[in-house]
Amino acid sequence: MDLNAQYLSLEELCYATQNPSQTIIEIINHGIVEPEGTGPETWVFNTQMISVAKKACRLHRDLGVDWSGIALAIRLLDELDQLRNENQRLRKRLERFLDE
Amino acid sequence: MDFQDYYKILSVAPDADSKSIKTAYRKLARKYHPDVSEHHEAEEKFKQISEAYEVLKDPQKRAQYDELREYGAQSQRSSGGQQYSQSTYGNGDFSDFFSSIFGNPRQSGSRFGADSFSQQGFSQKSFSDQDYARKGQDIETDMPIFLEDTLTTTSKSISYSLPHRDTHGRVSHVNKTLNVKIPAGVMDGERIRLKGQGGQGLGSAPAGDLYLRIRLVPHPLFDVEAHNLIITVPLAPWEAALGASLEVPTLSGKIKLTIPANSQTGQRLRIKGKGLLRKGGHGDLYAVLKVVMPSSANQETKKTWQKMADIAAFDPRMEWRK
Repeated sequence: MDLNAQYLSLEELCYATQNPSQTIIEIINHGIVEPEGTGPETWVFNTQMISVAKKACRLHRDLGVDWSGIALAIRLLDELDQLRNENQRLRKRLERFLDE
Repeated sequence: MDFQDYYKILSVAPDADSKSIKTAYRKLARKYHPDVSEHHEAEEKFKQISEAYEVLKDPQKRAQYDELREYGAQSQRSSGGQQYSQSTYGNGDFSDFFSSIFGNPRQSGSRFGADSFSQQGFSQKSFSDQDYARKGQDIETDMPIFLEDTLTTTSKSISYSLPHRDTHGRVSHVNKTLNVKIPAGVMDGERIRLKGQGGQGLGSAPAGDLYLRIRLVPHPLFDVEAHNLIITVPLAPWEAALGASLEVPTLSGKIKLTIPANSQTGQRLRIKGKGLLRKGGHGDLYAVLKVVMPSSANQETKKTWQKMADIAAFDPRMEWRK
């Protein structure tokens, strides 16, 4: 497995998501993805960020929602996901105490 | 191949104007978009909705479809279903029905292979076809991993299905198996990207990527909390009262654990460094105590309990009396 494949530059991310850099910069300006690095030349994106960027692009395109809306939707989806996970975890913990 | 009633799919009247078609599409798309929906058929529904909108938003396609629909209403009434042979999510092609009227959009150059969704061809506005070669489609699949396997780097075999397009543009599915190195310390939900292991590119364009989404398999004994593990330790009442020395399983073999006297249900004992792997070490294992009663008691045991009841002077419901 090529471990370098886990980190992408801006150009590589544009290619991986098949989006122009303006779109990716829009996503970053809205804080949807926060790459490491000081500017477009040094930005580094990890696999998680690639997924989020792809999801943002899909939602933007398919739902006709502007980028601020996408930022909000992604944050809420993230929270929902965390709450679902926590709920599942707590239920499982509870089961261990209530099963008998 | 069945007839697709695009109006029915979008729940609009056949004479609906373009504005209400757009509204209906947006509403359904928000409901069934696979990125936001938990609905078990979200993916399939979203494809149908997208396909319907692709046709009905375009006056020319809509006119062509309306003509066929009128004819279809007379000749194909009996079939009437919504089913059509559709590829799985990730392939992204429209139904045979769509292709039979409007051709294969991929070949006519209106589609894009970037992503599971972007192939649906209903909005190329966001990027220009000239900017990028048509990279193959990305595939995302779950990779179940046992907790034990996260402690060291392991090699796992993964099989997945890949859309394959022949020279005539026909799509079939091929199974592919890969050996993947799963790095030590992976966490639930983490993604591993395998460059070039996705769907084939169009023409000379490179293949898409494969994304493995790590799913930690629930363990019969251990629950996961970030990098820590939790094990529930059942105790006999006398073990809780008098203290005990127990053998407790961890992910890497058994260890000795000392239970202090007068322990309580719900009490957590930390076993340092026996959790999951993380940067610079291991998380901890928490032993959560659970006092359990024997399911039956003989005469002698009963007598002993009674003796305790007489001398212990313990009121567990003190709080209620305040």
